[in-house]
Amino acid sequence: MRWLAVERQATTYLRHLASWAQTRVLRDRLSTIAGHRTALEAHGTRAGVELEAFDEEVRRRAVADLGVRVAIMGKGGAGKTMICATLARQLARRGRKVLAVDLDTNPGLSMSLGVGPSAPGLGPEALEEHAGASYGWRLAEGLTALEAVERHSTVGPDGVRFLAVGKICSVDKTEAKRSVPAMTEVLLGFGAPDVDVVVDLEAGLTTPFERYHSFADTVVVVVGPAWKSALTARRLLPMVGERDTIVVANRVGDEPHHPGLAPRVRVPFDPCVVHAEREGRAPMDACPTSPATRAVDTLGDVLLTKEETA
Amino acid sequence: MKVAVAGKGGSGKSTVSGALARFLARRGHEVIAIDADPNPNLGISLGLPPGSVETMRPILNALLDSGHTHDDPTPPADELLSRYGVEAPDGVTLVATGKIERPSSACLCCGSHNTTRQFFGELPADDRVVVADLEAGLNDLIWAHPGPQDVVLAVTEGSAKSVEVARRACRLAEELGVSRIIAVANRMLSEADVEVVAGALGVEEVVGVPEDPAVEHADNLGLAPIDVDPGSPALAALDQLAQRLVAAT
Repeated sequence: MRWLAVERQATTYLRHLASWAQTRVLRDRLSTIAGHRTALEAHGTRAGVELEAFDEEVRRRAVADLGVRVAIMGKGGAGKTMICATLARQLARRGRKVLAVDLDTNPGLSMSLGVGPSAPGLGPEALEEHAGASYGWRLAEGLTALEAVERHSTVGPDGVRFLAVGKICSVDKTEAKRSVPAMTEVLLGFGAPDVDVVVDLEAGLTTPFERYHSFADTVVVVVGPAWKSALTARRLLPMVGERDTIVVANRVGDEPHHPGLAPRVRVPFDPCVVHAEREGRAPMDACPTSPATRAVDTLGDVLLTKEETA
Repeated sequence: MKVAVAGKGGSGKSTVSGALARFLARRGHEVIAIDADPNPNLGISLGLPPGSVETMRPILNALLDSGHTHDDPTPPADELLSRYGVEAPDGVTLVATGKIERPSSACLCCGSHNTTRQFFGELPADDRVVVADLEAGLNDLIWAHPGPQDVVLAVTEGSAKSVEVARRACRLAEELGVSRIIAVANRMLSEADVEVVAGALGVEEVVGVPEDPAVEHADNLGLAPIDVDPGSPALAALDQLAQRLVAAT
């Protein structure tokens, strides 16, 4: 499994590098990027060779155990946070190790996950000022992604680890945003092969613009019944780049699905979940076996099956 | 008067902004509707056809198209309005500040926030009403930077997450010195629900808007609720909100 992780890490970094290389900012550093690319490709090739040497059955099982890397996007109110939290807990109930990350500077995921509002998140001691970083801050020098997760995450229900960025609570434009670039570093560098990482992103188009989904092998686009929700999904899909995308239709009744957005998973309208959301309770605590939470479990099936056949 | 509309994604910011703009225009006010969301769709809630919502050029995109750079002085707000404003039903003028169109086009995103700040801040509003529909979440409220003369509408639906974002929006607005903060409790199932939201948000002015199948129906079709059923309960409440806004001035 170590070689699988190396291969994935190399692929992720290469993908990230390729998207950065397109920006104006880094044009002057193309030779450095070319150097990194060559090194990463060498790692990838080495991993490929090592993997070839294993028995096919061993390899298949290792691939099945490999943690998924999922980014969840969509219009505000589509149900990203509910899907993210419920997916995290359903995966954990299968016995998998799960890290749920809140990459939204607005509050939410801790509630839907059931970890309580006071989870500290990636605090000031994990950050350092750096002139070149966006918003002027980055992950503290010497702190690895694994250490950052171990030190700053909390363990919630079903053993899900939870890590959040800072939340907006003052009119300082950058205060809460400081931890966002650091969190993207954590996500890109988090190599733990057997941990599923599910990440709740901010609403709308800002997140793919900022490439916050770079870490992800799979992007889940959540779409609600509203026409504007479909419009956002249609704008998002061309922006997420080359990776698997899964459309999840949330809160569906018997209406036809939005044209051009065939959902792989349909999560039905579920009064129990609506009620839980009103009370600020986690759907997995309030209605663990109701139609919507069970439908989110089938999203888990889709993600894990995909990994096996990858 | 300038009104900034803030809240969690899906709370109904655009529905409230769109209906408010249309009702105010029907009552004879000159209304400018600003779509400050880099994922713009206020045009839909105002009743524009989807095609023209996708083809309209937001201020920042249009400036960049015409070779405008960071170092060039930005034209005055009224000039931008006459260049890039689009006419919506009932004579409302719609203008969007900036739209994200691809993953890494320069710095459009902070640019669109910046454009919102400048445009919302500078647009004269002595004898007209400016309604700014902000991006989901709290970030855009900080960027729009409403001041003591402005009004902030904190929109929420009934979920605890949405109420929490609206509560924080009220505190931010207070911190910015905004004197008139109105909580809009949207999609309420009962008067008691409105009371719960009012208690959580801690502001004096609270307007309840009932859950309304007509609005949901319009939303699913991509139409402005006011064009589907202007007399439905939610819209009646929003018309009252419109009257209340201008009555106090």
